[in-house]
Amino acid sequence: MRALDENETTAVFEKLFKFTGNNLKNIIEKPSHEGPDKTPGRYCFRLQKNRVYYVSEALVKRATNISREKLISLGTCIGKFTKGGKFHLTVQALNLLADNARHKVWLKPTSEMSFLYGNHVLKGGLGRITENTNVGDGVVVFSMSDVPLGFGVAAKSTQDCRKLDPNGIVVLHQSDIGEYLRMEDDL
Amino acid sequence: MVKKRKVVLPPELPPDVAEEEVEVSDEDLQFLTENRDYAGLFRKLDTKSITKHVTRIANQKEDDIEKLYEKRSKKKLLEKDNVKDELEVDPVDVLPVKTLDGKLYYKTAPKKNETKNIEDVTEDKDDGIQGSVVKLTKAEKRAKMKKSRKEAKKQAKEPVKTEDDVQENPQAEVLAEMKEELSAEDIYARKKSRLAELGMALLADPESNIKFLKEMLQMCKDGDESIVKMALQSLLVVFKDIIPGYRIRLPTEKELEMNVSKAVKKMRFYETTLLSSYKVYLQKLVALEKKSSFQDVIVRCMCNLLEAVPHFNFRGNLLAAVVNNISSTNDIIRKHCRTAIKSLFTDEGKHGGEATVEAVHLIADHVKIHDCQLPPDSIEVFLSLSFAEDLGKPQAPELEETVKNKGKKAKKEDRKKEKASNKKRSRKDLLDNSREEVDDDLKATFAPDALERRRMQSETLSAVFQTYFRVLKHSMRPTTDRSTMHNSHIHGRFGTHPLLAPCLNGLGKFSHLIDLDYMGDLMNCLKMLASGGGDSESSPASYLTVSERLRCCIVAFKVMRTNLDALNVDLQEFFVQLYNLILEYRPDRDQGEVLAEVLKIMLCEGRQHDMQRAAAFIKRLATSSLFFGSAEAMAALVTLRELLQKNAKCRNLLENDAGGGSVSGSLAKYQPCVTDPNQSGALASVLWELSLLSKHYHPAISTAASSILSINTANQVYLATTSPEQAFADLSIEQESFGSAKQNRKRKHTSKSFILDDTEVTQYSGDKEDLQKRFSDHFIVLRGIAENERLRRELSHTVSSIKFYEEYKNQKKKKKGVSKERGQNK
Repeated sequence: MRALDENETTAVFEKLFKFTGNNLKNIIEKPSHEGPDKTPGRYCFRLQKNRVYYVSEALVKRATNISREKLISLGTCIGKFTKGGKFHLTVQALNLLADNARHKVWLKPTSEMSFLYGNHVLKGGLGRITENTNVGDGVVVFSMSDVPLGFGVAAKSTQDCRKLDPNGIVVLHQSDIGEYLRMEDDL
Repeated sequence: MVKKRKVVLPPELPPDVAEEEVEVSDEDLQFLTENRDYAGLFRKLDTKSITKHVTRIANQKEDDIEKLYEKRSKKKLLEKDNVKDELEVDPVDVLPVKTLDGKLYYKTAPKKNETKNIEDVTEDKDDGIQGSVVKLTKAEKRAKMKKSRKEAKKQAKEPVKTEDDVQENPQAEVLAEMKEELSAEDIYARKKSRLAELGMALLADPESNIKFLKEMLQMCKDGDESIVKMALQSLLVVFKDIIPGYRIRLPTEKELEMNVSKAVKKMRFYETTLLSSYKVYLQKLVALEKKSSFQDVIVRCMCNLLEAVPHFNFRGNLLAAVVNNISSTNDIIRKHCRTAIKSLFTDEGKHGGEATVEAVHLIADHVKIHDCQLPPDSIEVFLSLSFAEDLGKPQAPELEETVKNKGKKAKKEDRKKEKASNKKRSRKDLLDNSREEVDDDLKATFAPDALERRRMQSETLSAVFQTYFRVLKHSMRPTTDRSTMHNSHIHGRFGTHPLLAPCLNGLGKFSHLIDLDYMGDLMNCLKMLASGGGDSESSPASYLTVSERLRCCIVAFKVMRTNLDALNVDLQEFFVQLYNLILEYRPDRDQGEVLAEVLKIMLCEGRQHDMQRAAAFIKRLATSSLFFGSAEAMAALVTLRELLQKNAKCRNLLENDAGGGSVSGSLAKYQPCVTDPNQSGALASVLWELSLLSKHYHPAISTAASSILSINTANQVYLATTSPEQAFADLSIEQESFGSAKQNRKRKHTSKSFILDDTEVTQYSGDKEDLQKRFSDHFIVLRGIAENERLRRELSHTVSSIKFYEEYKNQKKKKKGVSKERGQNK
């Protein structure tokens, strides 16, 4: 387990920024109430075996007691670095993103299942979309009852969505909560 | 006497002077007006004849009529010359007045006759003349003449003979006075009646009397302002009446060279004269417009013309003048222009829509030139524009039609070729062919109507939206460079962005017509404006008022709602703005109606909300309704209830344990100062405000608050009002009556603490009888105070008068003493 170096930090933050925008500040400055300390600590990012974890400082201190090889996981895993050095968010980061999301997409109940099987979001399944979403922005996908289902990248801006035919792809799938079942072993 | 009159009258009916009357010319009239003295002489002679005549009738008693005839004819022969002159007074008047004695009285003559006959009547006559000064139209003149005739009859009945001798001298004096008095007024009245005559003649037969227009125009150059005004107005009426329902096209030179029939010539002359005088008239109007004394009349004339004859020539000039005046500083002028242009927009049938396009373009240019610093009226007129939405549809069939036509034509050509090859084609076929061609032509003349209208409409729309966007963009610019603008008077009256409010209204109204391509830009503009106007956040002057920003939110939502049934877009940014604007709202400074509308459109009608956001809004509304006025608070509460009913999870806020647990998500603490509703963590808080509001002094609010509190236990919450707008309207009306009562109560409890006051007041409102009793007590006390004051005033008055008296006495004494001393000294 170690702190992220500069390149890794920029990679992680850039990715998070796509989804949260200025709310990234909230993620970093969020107070943690874990541990015996009266004063709330902070959360920090730690790298362990290519995976990036979002951990409270109190937990980091305790985790130092465990050797690097033996430590399987700590805090919340938010993503992993690929062999090529790119950073990918994993589905566990969903809650963090959903709380601070800048662009949201709500799915109609009929298309929820399709998304949870790993398909892209089509225009026909779009229940609602945040105004002013641009191509390439990170988008968090919700059900109509505000349950976060996953996240992805906007394939079309809100403006373009209007003229899109119902089968056009609006959000490119990145991750969804179906992965907890489908890819149980990988996570 | 009555009998006598009857006997005498009939023979007089055919007046032997009728022929002369016809011959009387304008020159004679002029002569008479110029040489009053002559007229006076004739008058004298005339009166003599009259009096003699009357006396004779009186003396004759029951004599036979034939004798009378003889005498009369003799006398007539003798006096013929005099009579002739007398009759030359007013030749234009076709209907003379005939009195008992058979004299034909013309407009001016009877007045003078009567003044001579009886001095007593002079005053009445004066009145009559004065009255005639005001009169203008022929009808009124006629009425006047009737009146004078009646009086003449009256006089004839009276025994005049005895007074005759005595009158001779006073007559002259009175005449002289009258002449002086009349000279100025008379000219005035004469001109006026001349105007009326000309106008009547024109109205009666415009084709033959068209030359009178020139004379009327001449009168517009008069030195007297009121005459000019009158001339302008009468010309307006005339033009309104005689302008044909088509546009006059002047004949070309080629056409002029051609030989035409008499009727056509006459028509041409008529049209050219009409057109040229209309032109002169308009030029006169435009020229006089600059003079402030004429402005009102001129603008009224122009507006009337524009309303009445928008299809006619020179419409452009008229429109330009009216549009220029719409930004006048004078409210009345502005109102006239506004109504004129509105009527132009609403009945397009009169001018086929062309004028609308022109007017809209002119206004757009006007706004552009003045850099959006105009009174709001100038854009408000756009609201009365109407766009037919189904115009877009006929285009498709039309296209088909044109395709068909083309097909036909192609066929026709084919046929022609065939014809060329096959000359044996029957004549009937040829006829058919030509008929088809004619039909095609007909279609060609009628078909473009819809197309043309479509084109005009799109042109109008683009101009309108261009103006709207210009205003929006302008409002976004920082005010720093604008503060030096010369027209600060508009700033003072309508705020820094006078056009923004009507512009937003218009955008809301026509939002369904906006092209989707502009939508993004528009939304960005609105977002900027809603966030406080412009990029330069540093200069506080550039901030729009809260109401204006709220309006921006409303417009954005309207635009979204009308356009995007297919796609449900979440306007996150605007919710953020609203969330912050609610805190900035001040009950007395800003418009509560706007707030209520925003709440309705954004929170009540929105289909779905984030739970976090809904909770944040619930919390904020509850907090702010504590410091709002009762009407706004009611609107907020209605919205709050609506939100709670839609978002069942948010009802956790009503539970008593702070910290929503798992529901509150990652945000464990409520942060009231956060700007983003999603980040506020409102779910972790408790709606303690509601229990405070249930003790609100206003009964409606307290009941509403307590019913919301019980929303969890009782599934069906009943509140009379359903929309925040309605709630606001209801309570703001109620406040009028409630406010006075409230003040009274407060005055009563000034010594007690405020909270006590509140609770007591709520108690009162529960018990009506008690309230009434207390009120009556209160008013008795008040009346007592008033009575007391009155008595005291009286007392002080008497005391002061007593003092005065004493002082007076003292002074008297002193004087006496002094005089005594003086006496002693002497």
